[in-house]
Amino acid sequence: MAKILMKGNEAIGEAAIRAGATNYFCYPITPQTEVAEYLARRMPEVGGVFLQAESEVAVGNMLFGAAATGRRVFTTSSSPGISLMQEAISYIAGAQLPCVLLNIMRGGPGLGGILPAQSDYFQATKGGGHGDYRLMVLAPSSIQEAVDLTMDAFPLAEKYRNPVMIIGDGMIGQMMEPVEFPDEVDKGDPATNEGWAATGARDRKPRVIKSLYLDPYKLEENSYVLHEKYEQMKQHEVRYERYKISAKNDLLIVSYGTMARICQTAIDELEQEGVSVGLFRPITLFPYPEKELRKEIEARNVKNVLVVEMSCGQMLEDVERVVQGVKPVTFFGRTGGIVPSPEEAKEQIKNMIKKPTRAKKASKATAKKQAAKKKSSKRQRKDA
Amino acid sequence: MGSLLDKIAVPQDRFEIRLSGSGGQGMILAAVILSEAIGGDGTKNVSQTQSYGPEARGGASKSDVVVSENDIYYPKAMTLDVLLAMTQESMDSYFKDLKEGGTLIIDETLVTDVPTDDYYALPFTRLAREEAGHVMVANVIALGAIASITGVVEKEKLVNAVLARAPRGTEDKNRKAVEIGFREAEKLKKS
Repeated sequence: MAKILMKGNEAIGEAAIRAGATNYFCYPITPQTEVAEYLARRMPEVGGVFLQAESEVAVGNMLFGAAATGRRVFTTSSSPGISLMQEAISYIAGAQLPCVLLNIMRGGPGLGGILPAQSDYFQATKGGGHGDYRLMVLAPSSIQEAVDLTMDAFPLAEKYRNPVMIIGDGMIGQMMEPVEFPDEVDKGDPATNEGWAATGARDRKPRVIKSLYLDPYKLEENSYVLHEKYEQMKQHEVRYERYKISAKNDLLIVSYGTMARICQTAIDELEQEGVSVGLFRPITLFPYPEKELRKEIEARNVKNVLVVEMSCGQMLEDVERVVQGVKPVTFFGRTGGIVPSPEEAKEQIKNMIKKPTRAKKASKATAKKQAAKKKSSKRQRKDA
Repeated sequence: MGSLLDKIAVPQDRFEIRLSGSGGQGMILAAVILSEAIGGDGTKNVSQTQSYGPEARGGASKSDVVVSENDIYYPKAMTLDVLLAMTQESMDSYFKDLKEGGTLIIDETLVTDVPTDDYYALPFTRLAREEAGHVMVANVIALGAIASITGVVEKEKLVNAVLARAPRGTEDKNRKAVEIGFREAEKLKKS
């Protein structure tokens, strides 16, 4: 199929349709509402269900119920909406059901801003809801990757009978880029879920789908089953990209999603100036590419590791956990909807290579300087 | 380090266009059409970004189109090769982002104060009203002018992209709008 230009939110909606999602529940929230708008039109065309619920709490429970039937279920939302679904997500994970969720993240706690941010890393990767569970978390950095990961998310959710969350930001949701949809797509077959799905108990014993085990030994056993699945994910599902990583690198950047592609522009520009920087981009945030990142750090001569995020430092903690003090790890981030420019990232990198320990302090001063500069450059051009 | 910001050069293979005006002038739709015209056949990479949410309501509206032979990592514009300003407010807001020697195209119906002598001026809004028959196609006339002045896309490809988005019954009006913009810009280039 030829490439077509599509907005991220619409492309993700189309990918879900092609991946055989037949149950979509939603509640509108910027910056992802176009997914709902798109699926309101497309779902009826494929005989699926589009349902706008009364709240995100209801959406979560609709997902739970529909997932129990073995059909492919999908929802999309943004940070505060995802928070409201957390109780149900915990139940879905506990009951071992597949479902796919998209979080086009907002900035900040509370209602937050609608501009691009990566502030929900902790929520997505470390639990989010209550209880001892994990989500598989996928982080695309382009519209094409968002399409590909959406299509992979459904079979992955079924393989592990566990919720899969795709996280992106307003840039991924709102931007238009050319995308290609593969001809062959695994649309799923409800019959393969025969064995656990609630499909009507005529002529067979009823199945019970639940997360409730009052006997502590049974509950422990269920938790161990979940835990074993997460170990299997770590073994088999880790995905990441290496960009310009080489023995010549002065610095290794670890960054994901939109922030990573901005770093790629910075890295390309620095290369022309004779500065060699590599990028390690986790695509699965859970399972985190621990061994792979550790290997890069041990094998290379890099003196420093720089984590770059559109948050105050969340994935940073995973990188520190992996690096275990072998190399100094520093952080650069903007948040609240501020998307760092490649220039800003370059400046950070150059600062770090010069005097790594100052990098964090410099960032605040730089932001101020930049703001002042912006004003003055405007004046200068006007005068001229 | 402050001086570093002055030295940043946009990678040579990037071509960055910003269409700006006020909400309702169709700048975002125009950017989508331009992106489809340029990147529709898959020969070039293109990314289109825009302001959204409250930022996009009322006041200045803008949308960026980045074109490159290579992969586009940073999807937004850094320093503009082309700025289309359809209102004075957008002119004032975004002129600073135009690179030295970049192409400035203004709607002289609405932009009166230009801080440089080096620019192209056409009365897009007036042409839309008086010649094309509807003020709404001013954005399409501007696209025709951009195609002529910058050569970023062939006229034929632009016409096809415009028609693919035009509501039924407005095809002729839109086709004519591209022609008007292209023709007027050609005249301007000769003079």
